[in-house]
Amino acid sequence: MKKGIIITLFFIGMWSLNTLAQHAHHNHKQQEMKAGEIHPEHSVYHMSAEFTDHREAPIKLADFKGETVIVVMFYGNCTEVCPILIRDSWRLYSAVDETHRSQVNVLAISFDTENDSPKVLKDYAEYEQLNIPGWYFITGKHTDIKMLATMLGVKYQQTSDGHFAHSNLVTVLDGEGKIATRVEGLNQPMEEAAAVIEAMLTNF
Amino acid sequence: MRSQTKISTLATLMIVVIATFIPEITFSQTASVLVPEGSFHSVLPEIKGEPIEVGSFYMDQTAVTNEQYVKFLKENPEWRRSEIPSIFTNNGYLREWKSDLDPDYEKLGENRPVTRVSWYAANAYCSEQGGRLPTLNEWEYSAQLLDIEDEAEMNRFSSNLISWYSGIDVKNLQEVGTTGIETIYGVQDQFGLVMEWVEDYKPIIADELSLDCGTVGRMQTLNSIYSYAASIRYITRMSFNPKITTGMVGFRCAYDSVESSSEIENGDTL
Repeated sequence: MKKGIIITLFFIGMWSLNTLAQHAHHNHKQQEMKAGEIHPEHSVYHMSAEFTDHREAPIKLADFKGETVIVVMFYGNCTEVCPILIRDSWRLYSAVDETHRSQVNVLAISFDTENDSPKVLKDYAEYEQLNIPGWYFITGKHTDIKMLATMLGVKYQQTSDGHFAHSNLVTVLDGEGKIATRVEGLNQPMEEAAAVIEAMLTNF
Repeated sequence: MRSQTKISTLATLMIVVIATFIPEITFSQTASVLVPEGSFHSVLPEIKGEPIEVGSFYMDQTAVTNEQYVKFLKENPEWRRSEIPSIFTNNGYLREWKSDLDPDYEKLGENRPVTRVSWYAANAYCSEQGGRLPTLNEWEYSAQLLDIEDEAEMNRFSSNLISWYSGIDVKNLQEVGTTGIETIYGVQDQFGLVMEWVEDYKPIIADELSLDCGTVGRMQTLNSIYSYAASIRYITRMSFNPKITTGMVGFRCAYDSVESSSEIENGDTL
């Protein structure tokens, strides 16, 4: 019986290896990782951890209860891909009708807990001209960031040169903190996700 | 006056020196030991055959026990079986426990490793202790630091592992610290007790690594007593997801070593 379990695990593992190998091959150039599995029926607001934003203010996910949130995970030293991810988030944000936009929050969460202090994030926000109301550049405890990323299906791993391999993912959370929709990949069309946000806002 | 200052300076110095050289530090519940930096050969294909470098870190000597987990639950009600949100676990969380705070010690034992905890719960436990889960590389590196003297002992160890991995008896786990398997730095039971969560339990096979059909075969033929056990672990972990809870998976925590990281400071001020 137990042998059976081990053997089954072994085969599942073999299959995973194969799948991973295909992904590795496919993503060879972009250092991009496929997004992970998520459970959209559950609220990420169950997470009670305290984070800090680029204004040095403490922040909890549940602070955004009842509002619409766009979440993107990135890191400051990533100068090629991450500015595109941030711009993608801006494209989604600005696709929302201007009269509703004040009800939308954007959380740009760094997974480089070593380098991206609130001060660094503030400089980053200013450089990107996004030190604006409704936008939060966020850092936190390593374990909390890892947990949040896992909940969102954002995979990342530090590489030996200090950079990160990571998924490129923009996630929309509804008023209860459930994942309403997500956009995977860079430079993707944002109309659908914007429509999801508009629909939520008009329902409030 | 002057000599007094000297003496107190000396005393301070001595304390600093002693503190620096005592590798054992107690972070809340479990004694932890310093694992110095080093490198190891992974069973996964390496970049140009280079061993993987691992910086120094602290790791719990033993896996987290049922009793220690109860303490954590007393202070963190949101992780009790009746409270834990289903985003953090499947239905099996602490399934065999009598109630929220009663593991049924008669059946499960105070000092046996806690199992049937999800990755989320393990991560939260370690975070609460001021630590984190060890990374996969840290865990595997530490596991290879056994002091095995001769070939006969090596063969015995190797065949014990094979029988252990092919039948972890989840109903009759041993107490932590009783396997007699200990690394040269004092980390115990990395083999022979339970499998353990690590922070990145699914190794990311990014562009640095290319996996092919021969990889699993290659894992098995690596000329090392550790390769069989390690390949079983890698393969098993790949079937995990962060919500699973099984009777053969427990965990222990790791901590950044003081000199190597600003992360702890960061964490404290946040």
